[in-house]
Amino acid sequence: MTDDRDTAAMGFAGRVFRWLGSPTGRACLALALVLLVGFVFHADGAFYKAGTHRDALRQTSVYGILAAGMTLVIVTGGIDLAVGSVLALVSVCFATLTIHWGWSAWAAVPLALLIGALCGGASGLAVASWRVQPFIATLAMMALARGLAKYASGGMKVSTAVQEVDGAYRYVAVPAVFRAIDTRILGDNVPVVTAIFAVCFGLAWLALARHRWGRQLYAIGGNEEAARLSGLPVVGAKFAAYVASGLFAAVAGICQAAQEQQGDPEAGAGYELLAIAMVVVGGTSLMGGRGGLGLTLIGILTIGYLEKILSINAVPEAGRLMLTGVIILAAVLTQKRGR
Amino acid sequence: MKRMVCLAGLVAGWMVAGCGKPVEQAAPATPAAPRAAKATYTIGMSQCNLGEPWRVQMNADIKAAAEPHPELKVVFKDAQNDTLRQRAHVEEFVSAGVDLIIISPKEAQPLTEPVAKAYQSGIPVIVLDRAVLGDQYTCFIAADNRKIGKAAGEWIKQALGGKGKVVELKGLMTSTPGQDRHAGFLEGIAGSGIEVVFEADMKWLEPDARKEMESALARFDAIDLVYAHNDPGAHGAYLAAKAAGRDSSIRFVGIDALPQEGVAYVAQGILAASFQYPTGGQEAIATALQILKGEPVPKQIVLGSRLFTKASVAAGGEDLP
Repeated sequence: MTDDRDTAAMGFAGRVFRWLGSPTGRACLALALVLLVGFVFHADGAFYKAGTHRDALRQTSVYGILAAGMTLVIVTGGIDLAVGSVLALVSVCFATLTIHWGWSAWAAVPLALLIGALCGGASGLAVASWRVQPFIATLAMMALARGLAKYASGGMKVSTAVQEVDGAYRYVAVPAVFRAIDTRILGDNVPVVTAIFAVCFGLAWLALARHRWGRQLYAIGGNEEAARLSGLPVVGAKFAAYVASGLFAAVAGICQAAQEQQGDPEAGAGYELLAIAMVVVGGTSLMGGRGGLGLTLIGILTIGYLEKILSINAVPEAGRLMLTGVIILAAVLTQKRGR
Repeated sequence: MKRMVCLAGLVAGWMVAGCGKPVEQAAPATPAAPRAAKATYTIGMSQCNLGEPWRVQMNADIKAAAEPHPELKVVFKDAQNDTLRQRAHVEEFVSAGVDLIIISPKEAQPLTEPVAKAYQSGIPVIVLDRAVLGDQYTCFIAADNRKIGKAAGEWIKQALGGKGKVVELKGLMTSTPGQDRHAGFLEGIAGSGIEVVFEADMKWLEPDARKEMESALARFDAIDLVYAHNDPGAHGAYLAAKAAGRDSSIRFVGIDALPQEGVAYVAQGILAASFQYPTGGQEAIATALQILKGEPVPKQIVLGSRLFTKASVAAGGEDLP
């Protein structure tokens, strides 16, 4: 009662102030601050060019796909450290299938997705059924998938230079599917990888915010024991979250291979940490049960734009790392004070 | 309690081992005394990491060079970028009594002593690519990054007619190859009208190179050439320029010239030039054979580089002076 009257009395400014205190408001504030830095340090007007923003979105798409899957896992109170390695494994396999073996995209994409789902499924099995701590289970998968990627590629990048039995190299064309993914659509305005990110993100959002499974994930993250006692399919729902994260990592791996025109067994090292940072900067709690994909989107844009602004200003590496660290810490600290 | 005792024992053992003897063991003048000819020789090869294609290539080169010699048996070990693991490799090779050690060390200081100990125990040691300190090894084989950077600078100066706008995509600038390829390049273009309009650290990584190049393209409407410290970096820059529709007005130059990377890119018309950074694998085996036969070898071998351009790639490149 009094609450309503207060809100009415506060007026517009008060409501804005209150909104800024909410998780969404705080996340938006961080993004606005980063964008403000861009407006001030615009690098001879480069920040005002449409191409810069198009590129910023393209560059952050692979991380964004990982972060979308990561959100599903983190909401359950878990974590998936394996996404970077799964990305590398899938990109190596996808490049081998399409470049070296000449498979069509219709066969290679489903198989690549299956590989990602299997890796996620293995983590999910360990976490949900065998009750291994998510950090440990996915740490193991992180090592295993990286090893598989190196084994499948022989430690070399899988590129359009194919080695014959006699040691000579034969050069093959870049597969059509690579070109199709690494191009722009809608009047040359939207990179295909950004569109793929948007679709992945939309699916994850639908699942988490609109589907029963999403509710279950929140319930598990909030209080797993209570969720179990209320008869929720805890094991199945958790397992599915890790499978989804593996699938998203596979999509990211396909995008990575297409953009690099090769499968690199070293690709994606450290991407898992960036994806986690995006989720956390958005305001989703690592303890689980709180947050959502809307927040993750703001986190993705915050970190993506920060990288881009530092890059167009040619800030040296040392400064970039320090600034990124400060921004992540600052963003998370403001989130914490909101509770 | 039991655990405490164990721990104390370990610590004591470590202290005895660590502090027991001083390093100076009155180095013998010629530890590699002429040895009796054997039917088979075992060579221990310790690679600092196999995460980089260039190092995978080095191992492949060593293997290929050793294959025609049935008397050679090469044991490969990968230290996975861990200095202490590599130190253990050297110690394992010594206790296994190999006939010769080839090591491509991760870093100089921590591996100097293990290498010196192996050398003093009478096992010849060939140090490949990265140096150790002092002179307690048999032979050091490496290419000169600064020289290659300078050659790239000079080639770029000539290709651009002495003036133009260049983007430099640097390798990890905390690593000596990155520093040397940068310093050599500046030396090579010194006194010309070439302007480095944008430089960024892409940490040897192709995705990073692409990102940095996109930023350079957004900032500058006129870019004549991209000099990247490795071929994947140049390739990433090319992909960025291609996505912006500007790949035809920019030339790309890289370093390393691995057969499946730089050389392939030159052959496909993506890079204008790639400068080889030789692995020295073949030279290491040739030197090893000389040592095992008791022939004298030089203390240091500086490897030559080769230049691959559209004109010379089919002929296997051309020697750099």
